[in-house]
Amino acid sequence: MLSYLLRRLAASVVILLLSSMMVFLMVAKSGDPLATLRLNPHIPKAVIAARSAQLHLNDPLPKRYWIWISNAIHGNFGLTIGNQPVAPQLWSHMVVTLEMVLIATAIAIVLAITIGVLSAIRQGRTFDTGAAFTNYLFISIPVFVLGLVLKEFVAIPINSAIGHTVLYTIGQQSPNLSGGFFSRFGNYAGHAVLPILTLILVVYPSWSIYQRSSMLEALDSDYVRLARAKGLRPSRVLIRHTLRNALIPVTTVIALDFAAILGGAILVEQVFSWQGMGTWFLGGITNLDVNTVQAYLLVTAFFIVLFNFIADILYGVLDPRIRYG
Amino acid sequence: MALMSRGGRLRTGATVVAAVAAAAGMAAGGTAVAARTPHSTHFAKTGSVTVALDETFPGFNVLTSTDNNYDLAQVINALWPSTFITTNKLTVVPNTQLLESVKQVSKNPQTIVYNLNPKAVWSDGVPINATDFIYNWHAQSGSSKWKDKGGKPYDDASTSGYNQIASVTGSNGGHTVTVKFKTPFADWKSLFSPIVPAHIAQKVGWNTGFNNWRNVISGAWYEISKYKQNQFLVLKRNPKYYSTPANIPTINFSWVSTDDSEPTGLQSGELDVIAPASVSQSLVLQANRVKNTDHAVIPGLEFEHFDFNEANPYLAKVQVRQAIAYGTDRAQMIADTVGSMLKGTKPLGNRMLMPNQPGYVNNGKAYANPNPNKAKALLESLGWKMVGGYFEPNYGPEAGQPLTFTISSTTGNPIRQETEQLFQAQMAQIGIKINIQNYDASTLFGTNLPTGQYDITEFAWVQTAFVSGNESIYCSYTLSQLCGANWVHYANATVTKLVIAGASAVNPQAEINDYNRADAILWKDMVTLPLYQKPQYYAWTNKLGGILPNASSSGITWNINDWYLK
Repeated sequence: MLSYLLRRLAASVVILLLSSMMVFLMVAKSGDPLATLRLNPHIPKAVIAARSAQLHLNDPLPKRYWIWISNAIHGNFGLTIGNQPVAPQLWSHMVVTLEMVLIATAIAIVLAITIGVLSAIRQGRTFDTGAAFTNYLFISIPVFVLGLVLKEFVAIPINSAIGHTVLYTIGQQSPNLSGGFFSRFGNYAGHAVLPILTLILVVYPSWSIYQRSSMLEALDSDYVRLARAKGLRPSRVLIRHTLRNALIPVTTVIALDFAAILGGAILVEQVFSWQGMGTWFLGGITNLDVNTVQAYLLVTAFFIVLFNFIADILYGVLDPRIRYG
Repeated sequence: MALMSRGGRLRTGATVVAAVAAAAGMAAGGTAVAARTPHSTHFAKTGSVTVALDETFPGFNVLTSTDNNYDLAQVINALWPSTFITTNKLTVVPNTQLLESVKQVSKNPQTIVYNLNPKAVWSDGVPINATDFIYNWHAQSGSSKWKDKGGKPYDDASTSGYNQIASVTGSNGGHTVTVKFKTPFADWKSLFSPIVPAHIAQKVGWNTGFNNWRNVISGAWYEISKYKQNQFLVLKRNPKYYSTPANIPTINFSWVSTDDSEPTGLQSGELDVIAPASVSQSLVLQANRVKNTDHAVIPGLEFEHFDFNEANPYLAKVQVRQAIAYGTDRAQMIADTVGSMLKGTKPLGNRMLMPNQPGYVNNGKAYANPNPNKAKALLESLGWKMVGGYFEPNYGPEAGQPLTFTISSTTGNPIRQETEQLFQAQMAQIGIKINIQNYDASTLFGTNLPTGQYDITEFAWVQTAFVSGNESIYCSYTLSQLCGANWVHYANATVTKLVIAGASAVNPQAEINDYNRADAILWKDMVTLPLYQKPQYYAWTNKLGGILPNASSSGITWNINDWYLK
């Protein structure tokens, strides 16, 4: 198991390096981040030269990449084209995104497993049919459309009915927030509900479908029939023998889907004006800000690798044959 | 003069002119200030307003190339004082709360005397005086004589005007400032707007010192109370303000990622004022449906236009450019694009001044209506024959082939894409084949236009109230240092002489006359084809009063001190 994990780790590092090189080349070659300044005849040439030197724009690409990677290893991601250190921005945006993604993922996992299990044990009945309809409905709606629909048809009517804003559509908190813990918490929650709900509704359906089919397969297996024949309690058969085995494929799907969740988060952040990694990354792309894009890529890749590791470890927990094999 | 971008547009003209008191009544000739009241009848003890912002900025020094953007100017209007303001009527008036008087006392050498309000202080109690003017001149002079903290060169968005100053001196305890120019500068009212606090900038640095919001002390109505980068900014009344205080105690600025989210924010009560950077029909319809709001669509100081690259062997012929202009039905383009948003939008007749600016003259009357027959006659006058519906040149790389040009603009702009398609169809009627090839803004403005890799392009210039900002666009491209924004490879000694003379005129009317004469020649030579003024859209909750949308770069917050809660 350990050697397997180490091999995975080594492969991940190589993939990480190669992908960072490719992204660096693509962003660095796609345009001049100081183009607008160069067009302005009134900006002294010394100013532009200083900015270019600061961003290493005059250096050859391999040298620029080497400067970036050697600094990044020490936690220094360089400067943005706005002349600010990348690292503090990265951490502050990451906190925002992780808050959304982790809460949404945790709730989506519980929802997906619950609906998947209930659909499987009530196969062909009203609940199963309703769940299938809902799953495919949410799968077919693009994330940004879903966000806009929730804003327009959930937040606005509820706020209008109550007479003041309880479901917010912009940002993570109100600008001039004051008051005690509960009023502040209420404001944070009011801002978080719709973005998190959007992300949940985008990610849970496919997991739920996997969970259902995995449960159906497990319910139809010999060991479950044997457990039933031995007279075990139905709840013990369902949880201990069926669900535990049925979770293995879903775990893989959830871990592999982490990149998709981050992709979804980019759009959710845009729709709800959350200043997370996604909004930051899009700003980096728009401004041809190589250091910002690279930092995003590195951190995203790290989390994808991390989640794959977690999946590998969970396999062992859920299936002893992997742990001791 | 800075090129300030907003939403992929390029801005000409003076550096951001921060808005200040809208008190009128004092001309630049030196009239005394009217008596002031302690505070206005609309003064409120509690309440707040939230304004949407869509552009982010790394720091607060709007006069650096790094931070020079439209939305930061909206914030700085409330924080740093300016000597002059651009009103919603697009006239430039002195800030009578900062200045007791201002006067051009000599034409040769051009000399301006500013008499400051002796009560004017920064929010830390330090007086606003000649020291600030001297420092702001040094920092924006472009001279290597003066350096920023740490010996670094100053990062300036513009050195225009400041680089023509010979001296800035203080007298009367620093309350009188005398500015002498080496060479005349017509748009001297654009200078010292805003004023950066010298004693802080010298300590923390001009270039990056104001990246820390705690260094951004105030010399105007509000001061920063709370800031979370790219999320929100809270301004409270400046308790040390030296004149009539602002009516509303708290102004919140809230960042919105996409313009399309702004109407929803208005509807949900999270925003009170929106001024989206890009205006579309759907956004206008959505925002207009929001109850209890007021709206305004005004023609902006921004105009769409076609540029013809005269490095192209066929576009180098004036007859070809004129034929294209005669074949272009601008009225139809307007009707099919922005016409429904802003009724009364007409084809533009001037490149230097917009119809809502003083001094506008319609120099493009000859092209007011399309004339396809005249267009064809012009192409035939070159000896070209129409074959299979298209003219074929008799020389150059396309000899014996259909006359073909490529039009390029920025990707992701539906209005421009629709305009290009209409242009393509209209040119087909006069025997010119048009291909469409668009690029992202950084490629178009960063590579294609400066290096001449285009035939025809469409984009927008954003003007300010100061007409000399056009100098670098239309003077001869051979003067690369001065005329870096002349991407059409046009050279005309008379136009060059007029725009340079206009920029140096000490009489504002003489400047306008020179630029209008230059524009008339540009129409005759059909260097570029102005299309229309772009509309600007504003919406605000009707609990707010005093809002006067301003088409200049001063923006909607130009009179933020006069806003009030109903």
